[in-house]
Amino acid sequence: MLGKKRTRVSGEVPVASTADIAFLLLIFFLTSTNFPKDNGLAIVLPESSETVEVSQKNILHLVIQPNGVVEVKRGESPQVQPMRAQEIEGLWRQEIAANPNLIAAVKTHPDAPYKFMIDVLDALHSASAERISLQVLEI
Amino acid sequence: MAMKGGFEKKSKAAADIPGSSLADIAFLLLIFFMVTTAFPRDRDRPITWAEAEAAKKIDEKAKNILNLWMQQDGTIFINDQRYEMPEVSQVVAPLYAQSNRALVVSIRGDRETPYRLMDQLQSELVSAGVVRVVFATRLEQRMQRERR
Repeated sequence: MLGKKRTRVSGEVPVASTADIAFLLLIFFLTSTNFPKDNGLAIVLPESSETVEVSQKNILHLVIQPNGVVEVKRGESPQVQPMRAQEIEGLWRQEIAANPNLIAAVKTHPDAPYKFMIDVLDALHSASAERISLQVLEI
Repeated sequence: MAMKGGFEKKSKAAADIPGSSLADIAFLLLIFFMVTTAFPRDRDRPITWAEAEAAKKIDEKAKNILNLWMQQDGTIFINDQRYEMPEVSQVVAPLYAQSNRALVVSIRGDRETPYRLMDQLQSELVSAGVVRVVFATRLEQRMQRERR
């Protein structure tokens, strides 16, 4: 019987390795698929008809200059305090503790690169600021 | 083998776990992953990403995110097609309506883009009725360490 078996040639394609092939493909797709990780700073833009009057004392003006310097101005006071974007986080925490109704008005110079606005927005998000207004600086 | 051991086999209980369904399981998983993997619809534009430490994952289904690319020179690409600034609201508005107002626009701007263009873009989006906007950024690594 054994001798007979050895001489016989199988007429079928071997299917025993199908599972291995399938697993190989599976592992290949699992490892090669990279899910796009979208990160970003989410904001909600105001509706086009939405304009809200805000008292000046509740506004913290953050003017971003083309060189990246942020000029901080509180409400109506003419006093301007130049700052770096990284320092805004600490400032905002202090200010919001003093006045919970505070709104950050980010005014970016039209020629300032986008990244400086992102830096400031980033700092505000880090300080969990919720009321942010994005504007372009009128010259 | 089939003709000789026919009687013997029937009475014998299988000693090992049946492995014949292994392929079916594997194919099932394979098909599941192939079907559920969502490939990005548009190709990436060459931009230098802005970085932010507070960047959060966009909590929205991939099909509800519209990527809006803005290169340094102000060229705008939506779904691999180039548009001029005044066209943006006309392009985005129907897409927004299609998505049952669930659309989130992910602005992928080059970090050196003058802010003037970004402001124009925002007003275009507002006039299209889109209010949920994400400024797509890369996560800032240095700060990631500090946060934890």
